[in-house]
Amino acid sequence: MADFPKLLTSRYELNESWLLSTVEKHGAYEVARKALTTMKPEEIAAEVKEANIRGRGGAGFPAGVKWGFIPKGNTKPVYLAVNGDEGEPGTFKDRTIMERDPHRLIEGCVITLFAIGGHIAYIYVRCELVKAIRRLEDAIEEARQKGFIGDRPFGKDHKIEIYVQPGAGAYICGEESSLLNSLEGNRGEPRLRPPFPAVEGAFRCPTIVNNVETISSISEIVRMGGKAWSDLSRLPRDGGVRIYGVSGHVKNPGIYEAPVGISMRELVYDLGGGMLYENRPLKAVIPGGSSTPVLRADDVVNAPGENDPLHAWQGKSHLDVPMGADTYRALGTMLGTCCATVMDNSVNMVEVARNLIHFYAHESCGQCTPCREGSAWMRDILDNLCRGKGRKEDVRLLVEIANNIMGNTICAFGDGMSMPMLGLVQKFYDEFLEAAKNGVPGSPLGDSAKELMLGSGA
Amino acid sequence: MPTFKLDGKEIPFETGDTIIRAASRQGIEIPHYCWHEGLSVAGNCRMCLVEVKSDRPMMLPILKFDENKKQFLPDSKIKLVPACHTPAAEGMEVFLDKENVRKTQEMVQEMLLLNHPVDCPICDQAGECKLQDYWELHGSKYKRKRTEPVHKPKAVRFGTTIVYDAERCILCTRCVRFCEEVVGDHVLDKRERGNKSEIVLSPGRYLDNKYTLNLAQICPVGALTSVDFRFKSRAWLLRSAVSICAGCATGCSSYIDYDPRTYEVYRIRARKNMGVNKFWMCDDGFMSYKLIQKYRVKNGVIRAAEQKAVSPGDALQAAAKALSEIEGKRIAVVLSAQHASEDNAVLAQFAREVLGTEKYYLAAYGGWKGDKILRHSDNNPNRAGAIRVAGRGLAPTNELLKAAEDGTISAVVTLGPAGEEKLDQLDPLQKLSAVVSLSSNIGAFTEVASVVIPVAHYAEMDGTFVNAMKMEQRFSRALPPPDRVKPAWQTIIDLARAMGKELECGSLEDIRKRMPSAQAVEAEGSNN
Repeated sequence: MADFPKLLTSRYELNESWLLSTVEKHGAYEVARKALTTMKPEEIAAEVKEANIRGRGGAGFPAGVKWGFIPKGNTKPVYLAVNGDEGEPGTFKDRTIMERDPHRLIEGCVITLFAIGGHIAYIYVRCELVKAIRRLEDAIEEARQKGFIGDRPFGKDHKIEIYVQPGAGAYICGEESSLLNSLEGNRGEPRLRPPFPAVEGAFRCPTIVNNVETISSISEIVRMGGKAWSDLSRLPRDGGVRIYGVSGHVKNPGIYEAPVGISMRELVYDLGGGMLYENRPLKAVIPGGSSTPVLRADDVVNAPGENDPLHAWQGKSHLDVPMGADTYRALGTMLGTCCATVMDNSVNMVEVARNLIHFYAHESCGQCTPCREGSAWMRDILDNLCRGKGRKEDVRLLVEIANNIMGNTICAFGDGMSMPMLGLVQKFYDEFLEAAKNGVPGSPLGDSAKELMLGSGA
Repeated sequence: MPTFKLDGKEIPFETGDTIIRAASRQGIEIPHYCWHEGLSVAGNCRMCLVEVKSDRPMMLPILKFDENKKQFLPDSKIKLVPACHTPAAEGMEVFLDKENVRKTQEMVQEMLLLNHPVDCPICDQAGECKLQDYWELHGSKYKRKRTEPVHKPKAVRFGTTIVYDAERCILCTRCVRFCEEVVGDHVLDKRERGNKSEIVLSPGRYLDNKYTLNLAQICPVGALTSVDFRFKSRAWLLRSAVSICAGCATGCSSYIDYDPRTYEVYRIRARKNMGVNKFWMCDDGFMSYKLIQKYRVKNGVIRAAEQKAVSPGDALQAAAKALSEIEGKRIAVVLSAQHASEDNAVLAQFAREVLGTEKYYLAAYGGWKGDKILRHSDNNPNRAGAIRVAGRGLAPTNELLKAAEDGTISAVVTLGPAGEEKLDQLDPLQKLSAVVSLSSNIGAFTEVASVVIPVAHYAEMDGTFVNAMKMEQRFSRALPPPDRVKPAWQTIIDLARAMGKELECGSLEDIRKRMPSAQAVEAEGSNN
């Protein structure tokens, strides 16, 4: 198994790693002290830009660039909103940071606030993560008592306050603009853009919304310098290390820190310890949370063109392409959160689609028509397919619905639900046709439907 | 003026205009549900998505079925933008007439109808429903969903005026935005998520503001309907007459909707007038149509020893006889802030030329609670107009009562149903030898009058109201008056004729020519 140096997770294994007394011995807040006492905000922002850190929340937007979107000559207060509403099915990385090393996040908040000229940070945490919320609140209190946050953090005249805001249990509140609505006490619905949050966000003031992992990386970036951080990665324009997660049919599900750009094969077979059952080979992987289209284990890269971004991997398996925002986009999927869901050949892909769409139909905020109605319609179609009540044309209808949700909604939720559906149908069309004919025997719905049919003498 | 192109047609726009607003100003409707000219942009219905030409269009991955290979292959489409939220820009090229846009509109339309109960035969909105209109225009697809639609609460009373049907609702949030932005009353919101969402009242509240009936009008579907209009008529049976609301001195523009077969009025709707009421009206204004049919005076009344119902002509003769017996200078006239300027002008002329009296009064209602939205504290539509055409100061009706008490007058001719005073305050009028009341509706004056002559309601005549902003607003006849009943100005000419005098104003045009023009009065106003 590859052994990668630990930066973000270096303090995870310490005894009582969430206490300031523990982590202070291991370098916590050293960087924040250095940054606030010796650096200028622009210098920090420049380092982060040079670090090429792509947002770790799923969309992969360069964090340094985002910070630069605050309007020049802005006179309103600037807020930092840290997105800890980790709700993407299959994703569980931010939670570990908040539970096991909350001070890394708080240190990141302090540095970031100083860099963007803000004074208040809100950490919006999914309400189910009770332990994370408590540990963050305790950690903030510890940091305040030490004078790391407050009116004069590290003696610097730059007031910093950090608040933890629990969500109310909606997946959509992980979308940045609905997170802000929810933060303000409104209904968690995405806002129309423009204006983007960096121009008009929380309380109509410029707001930087970053993922927990992104902010937690800031202290390491500042400590080692942007260039050094960027060089940790195996890919250009996509710097640093990140926390990978792997779950499903692998021997060692869990989270692993590794450089950006390892391949899916390394994640599944080296870090994840390989497939769970010897006789059940890998069938497909959802690379980074449920919204990212599935990868087939037996697909190979077909990029004969010299200029094709994937040409270097011509003829190799999709699993061998490095996991980077740009390479995965070229593959027709997305990197997302880098928390892979591994499925062996016992998994029926129609059932996967049904399971996922139930989640999306339940979580659609109901604001725009295509997403509100389309998600539930696709759910009903997939239920029918699994029950054995489907028709052949249902598969085409499914694609038509997903095609028409794509891009037609206010936020990316609609895309995030159609992309995996389209990916599944495209790559496992045979299975969908089979389900339309005979239903899905392994599906909970399929079985009960069969029983019902037997019971009625059919 | 800068322009952009919509399907090749040049559309001028003003700075800050969105595509949909600029197009709507040119009379081109880009299909929409949630957008409303007078409300903020919600962008949630997604019906107004259009394609905007770009050098680097954002492409979205979709799938396309390859009939030869018998499998789905990756394809892409251009990302569309909402016309309601996209600012118009010089030289922009916008397309509605594109396959991609059409497909999207058809799909949005189909999706809106997935869980919509197609209960048009019993829905009040039928005939003026956007879902129906757009179904015809976009796709006309039959439902392809084969599962049970979502069931939600039906016939929910939101208050005394509005009923909500959550199943019909398309969640465009026009109602929520109207209450928040126009009325400033956070009484409505959405609850639940996904296709279980519905509009609800705030806890402990019900729809009790003064503007609730606008919701029935702005709801693009049959989700919010008026309790009053529910199940009364079908939209396609009604005709709309252009009118002005007579509820207060704001003078909101309105439509009077009536059934042309029976001339029964079913409702009043707000009419767009950016200078006065924008798109809205208050509930009292909406409900004021009731007075067109209720509490009407349709026959003449003569009260002597006993009360007698007579024909309007007989009442007129009786009034002429009674007034002829009294010296003209001892007869007072009461103009009405409730009546059109034309009626008041002729009454003033009658006072001048037939009676020769100096005793002019103005009957006006005593006002109600106004607000900063539309409701004016003066609940008379034409106080300014009556004063303008009288060409002189008008004393309030309480001085009329004093004069009757003192015996300085012997008779009075009143226009309109009532003034500020209640019936029991009008006892002094009993002392007079004649009280001639010209009124369309029953009021305090008609109850004490010795002769009541019925006249037409304002909805039954052409006329003019001058509102509190001194705007002269013409309205036209929506309905015929009851049998043998004429507008007040005509009745007064007849009355003069019965008294042996001919007033020199044969037609409405003549009267209007003699009335002081708006400019004149505005000039007067600026001198003050």
